[in-house]
Amino acid sequence: MTTTQDFDNDFENKWCPGCGNFGILDSMKKSFSNLGLAPKDVLLISGIGQAAKTPHFLKCNMFHTLHGRALAVATGAKIANHDLTIVVNSGDGDCYGEGGNHFMNAIRRNIDITLLVHNNQVYGLTQGQASPTSKMGFVTKVQKHGVIAEPFNPLTIALNLGAGFVARGFSNNREHTRQLIEDGIKHKGFSLIDIVQPCPTYNKISTHGWYKQRVEDLYENNYVPDDLENALAMAQEWDEKIPIGVYYQKEGPTFTDRIKKLTEGTLIDKKYDAAKLDGYLSVS
Amino acid sequence: MIKLKNDIVVIIGGEAGQGIQTVGDLLATVCWKMGLYITVVNDFESRIRGGHSFVQLRISDQPNSAPSDKVHILAALNSKTVELHKGDLSEGGLVLVDGEESTAAGVTAIPFSKIAREVGGKIMTNTVVAGAIMGLLGTPFDIFEELLVKKFGKKSPEILDNNITAAKRGFESIGENSFKNGFTWEKKIPLGLLLTGNKAVALGAVAGDCRFSAFYPMSPGTGIMNALVALTDDFPLVVEQVEDEIAAVNMILGAAYSGVRSMTATSGGGFSLMVEGLGLAGITETPILIVNAQRPGPATGLPTRTGQPDLQFTIHASQDEFPRFVFAPGTPAEAFDLTVKSLHLADKYQVPVVLLTDQYLTDSLFTLDRPLKVPDSIDRFIITDEDLDNPESYERYAFTESGVSPRVLPCNGNALCVASGNEHTPDGHLNEDADNRKRMMDKRNAKLPAMQKEMSAPSGYFEDSDILLVGWGSTQGAIREAVDLLRERGQEVGCLNFTDMWPFPVEHSQRLLGRTKRFIMVEQNSSSQLGLLIREQTGLSFDGTVLKYDGRPFFPIEIVEETLAIIG
Repeated sequence: MTTTQDFDNDFENKWCPGCGNFGILDSMKKSFSNLGLAPKDVLLISGIGQAAKTPHFLKCNMFHTLHGRALAVATGAKIANHDLTIVVNSGDGDCYGEGGNHFMNAIRRNIDITLLVHNNQVYGLTQGQASPTSKMGFVTKVQKHGVIAEPFNPLTIALNLGAGFVARGFSNNREHTRQLIEDGIKHKGFSLIDIVQPCPTYNKISTHGWYKQRVEDLYENNYVPDDLENALAMAQEWDEKIPIGVYYQKEGPTFTDRIKKLTEGTLIDKKYDAAKLDGYLSVS
Repeated sequence: MIKLKNDIVVIIGGEAGQGIQTVGDLLATVCWKMGLYITVVNDFESRIRGGHSFVQLRISDQPNSAPSDKVHILAALNSKTVELHKGDLSEGGLVLVDGEESTAAGVTAIPFSKIAREVGGKIMTNTVVAGAIMGLLGTPFDIFEELLVKKFGKKSPEILDNNITAAKRGFESIGENSFKNGFTWEKKIPLGLLLTGNKAVALGAVAGDCRFSAFYPMSPGTGIMNALVALTDDFPLVVEQVEDEIAAVNMILGAAYSGVRSMTATSGGGFSLMVEGLGLAGITETPILIVNAQRPGPATGLPTRTGQPDLQFTIHASQDEFPRFVFAPGTPAEAFDLTVKSLHLADKYQVPVVLLTDQYLTDSLFTLDRPLKVPDSIDRFIITDEDLDNPESYERYAFTESGVSPRVLPCNGNALCVASGNEHTPDGHLNEDADNRKRMMDKRNAKLPAMQKEMSAPSGYFEDSDILLVGWGSTQGAIREAVDLLRERGQEVGCLNFTDMWPFPVEHSQRLLGRTKRFIMVEQNSSSQLGLLIREQTGLSFDGTVLKYDGRPFFPIEIVEETLAIIG
């Protein structure tokens, strides 16, 4: 058995005090140890942003890549060795802005990885510009008269693209988020967990208290996530209430299941056989 | 000097979609089976139907790998072909057109499409044309028939019969038309395969144990992926078409990090999109192979044409500095060998490798002059817990004298694989400390001396001559033939053909270029990118340039004429 302490490391954390990322980090460690995973069993892949620094703050295998590209890297890593448990840490800018194309295509492929999007509706690393999920009218130093585009809704897009595990969490409900991450990892196929979180430095609107008043726990309500219409309706909610939990779940063949040669073992474990080339290289 | 005998050039021209390439492939395969050497150059526009396309087949009994400016047989499936190429006809050359009656002197009308319709449909036209050309050349018909059986035998008996009849009717249609350049055919065993550069790279990839490839279609890189896909049923190889080139490079980075050899192929525009990923491979020391099949640019440029415009770009691509290899094969055999070598060196030094080909090399079909050799085994340069005294304290980027840190794979034991595209400490965690930054840069750069030792000297041909023509990549065949032609005219000329481009083979270059009186750069770009690199790296300056950047491959005679103008 492993414990959360097994995932602790002594790398200095530079997130702002009160950042929602702390809750997500804590939930990750708890879910990994609950699932009996050790640091050697987990591969974390991230892009760029405050969220994408998360893998540095816990002990495990990790690949901290480029802005927006974590899902592409994770897809390649999973194809090479589909026995790996891969979790991606990304943010609203990283995943839905810079990496939007990879986000859509990871869903289409149903690659069996768990995507955690730390969604604070603002850019933290680059100091407070609007993100794709910022509300219309959200004022920043750059958007000084407010954002003039509609926000990106990751949940409706994922649901419409046929994602098999679509969930929303709230960073400060750590137990709830732990459960979501466990369910996401256990889900066979692509899992999106959009975790709304406060940014105490740059987002003065959706604060901890603001979320607290709105979140409604679907686990407590015994919601059964098998109705796409319901899920789509919940995915539109924001101003009055924010359902947190699994909106929709449906399992099907994953990307690597659909590649015949990978059903007989991982790509990395296959043997090199030079003799097979003879037929191709023979001149006669 | 090797004199080409039976150096016959056939052009088949028409609209895209008329099956011109099929005629070229049929003819080439028959000639190859008879032990003759072939170069088949496809010239086509970026369109699927219409326009003007042609293939040029050069048939000889000696190795050749350049197109020729002289044409002996011109088979025209449209009138534009005659207009465009009649000026290239050599003395005694023949023009074959589709029709009942000759319209001009020297033009022979053969009712290709009428025959085709009679034996089964217009689709047979290309088989009739191939038959007619073989009739003119005096090819033994049974070899052609064997090939048709192989090609169409698996389809319906009707399709096979129709094709054989079409071939036969075409073969007989030339009647009394004698072709004075015809020759006696003797069956010899070919020394090497009949291969396009595309196929050579794909075969080299599986020979080098490449297991994953992600790509986004872009001419002329797409052909490499098509050739790789054709191998997926027989080898532990997964090929995936992805959303864009950025995904392609990052996906192969993920697969390589996970532990399988990985590659992608594209052209200049796609390579531009991959550049940030190239840098990620550099700083995270992840072995990947990117093939850039060059075409003229910038932006869209000339999608289906050839050029060598990306040497300096490829060597310098990405912000900041990190070690990388760049290779540029000159022939399909070299493309095979260098693909194997690239995959090996990427693993050995944990660096990205770029293989530079071009449209001419990738799309053209050549007879190889030697067999291809597969490595007996693959060394992955990967360690596990068993190789470590204390796996828990393993550091992915440990400082070493060679700059190469022992590499573990993720989730493969207690040693954790921690990698970051941010500058990092030896344990892989991000770090901005000034001293650490300098040490990490120095560690990565420490690989360079050993990497440079891996670089082969440019291959030479009469390399002791007073005047050397210097080129790189696919111009090799044209330059060597130009050397033959210049020597025939009494000029003391030789050549050097570079394939190992970066880290630049400085010592080899100083030795080989330092002793010649003059050297002239022959390149398919507008600034002599290799010439500038030689000057930068060795202090030696070129004495003239022969540059072609119109999107078409060099004819040897063009190099001869421009060289003579320079050397006087």
